[in-house]
Amino acid sequence: MTNKEKYKQAFSVLHASDKISLEVEDMIKFQKRHKMNIAIAVVAVCIILAGGSVSAYATDVGGIQEKVSIWIKGVATDTEMEVNEDGSFTFTYEEDGERVKMGGGGVSIGDDGETAKLPPEEFVEDMNSSANVESDKSGKTWVYYYDQKVEITDLFDKNGVCRIVLSHKGEKAYLEITDEKDGAYSISKTNEISKEKEKLYTVVKK
Amino acid sequence: MKQPVQELMAQYRDNLFAVAFNVCKNAQDAEDVVQDTFIQYYTSKKEFESGQHIRAWLIRVAINKAKNVTRTFWRKNKLSLEEYMETLAFDTTESEDLFETVMGLPKKYRIVIHLFYYEDYTVREIADILKLSESNVKVRLLRGRKLLKEELQEEWKDDE
Repeated sequence: MTNKEKYKQAFSVLHASDKISLEVEDMIKFQKRHKMNIAIAVVAVCIILAGGSVSAYATDVGGIQEKVSIWIKGVATDTEMEVNEDGSFTFTYEEDGERVKMGGGGVSIGDDGETAKLPPEEFVEDMNSSANVESDKSGKTWVYYYDQKVEITDLFDKNGVCRIVLSHKGEKAYLEITDEKDGAYSISKTNEISKEKEKLYTVVKK
Repeated sequence: MKQPVQELMAQYRDNLFAVAFNVCKNAQDAEDVVQDTFIQYYTSKKEFESGQHIRAWLIRVAINKAKNVTRTFWRKNKLSLEEYMETLAFDTTESEDLFETVMGLPKKYRIVIHLFYYEDYTVREIADILKLSESNVKVRLLRGRKLLKEELQEEWKDDE
């Protein structure tokens, strides 16, 4: 066997799931533009640092900063946004008297496959329109979406999937939340769905 | 020309998954990348010159999306490469060794190696897809092969 034949044999074990085609066809069927999936390749956020007193914060800030309001755990929170050299963003805010930093970044992929850094306002808009899921110390699982905080602990099926419908300013958001069994949750959000699929979703109110 | 996305999914779904997996080393992230790539194709107003142009565009977009997944601070799926490999049915232990060795290469060599050995692209075509110079691609290919040879020894020939 040549190296190419060996290589192809080794990597022929990789197969994409059928789910991809179904999801793509669903998108096409509704002719919709799902911004998260199309324009923005990645918008991920995590808390990267916690600690230090709020009073100390004022002494060590630097760089260009802007005040922005972000929905954090269902509460509109004032943060200081800083644009980092690599195009990512750092948000600093106060929580229970502690200084908390949160980081993230995003890019858009153009028609020629080229990448461009996301402008801050688009990143913030995307972050605010994303749902977040967290489990608390008592084992309860909550979904946060804009000003809404909803308990979903008992809404997961045997496969660890929870499908719910939330609304914000009259627009429905269909969320499919998968428990990854490692403390993490993956969230798929869409604003339109087929009548058939809609039956799988539970309408919840805050 | 614009080929229907359904045809392209049947044709290139696994190829895009393999190239995305090669970059981000995570099956779930790779699936998201493939899905996003096809959706971007569908919504794009770009006109393509040929089927090969479409294929190269899909691969370039998938690679860029996969690279961006790996840049994030937080990854939603923590399944390790080792755990995922246990779910794969390799034909031979030699195949498994090769797969594992390739995935252990630095990313910049891995992508070039994959496009050359799996997608059958030439150095010039790889340079065009990755927006690199041909000499840069040659160097990466050479270094990647050298690392494969060092690790796999007689299982990897000096035929290219």
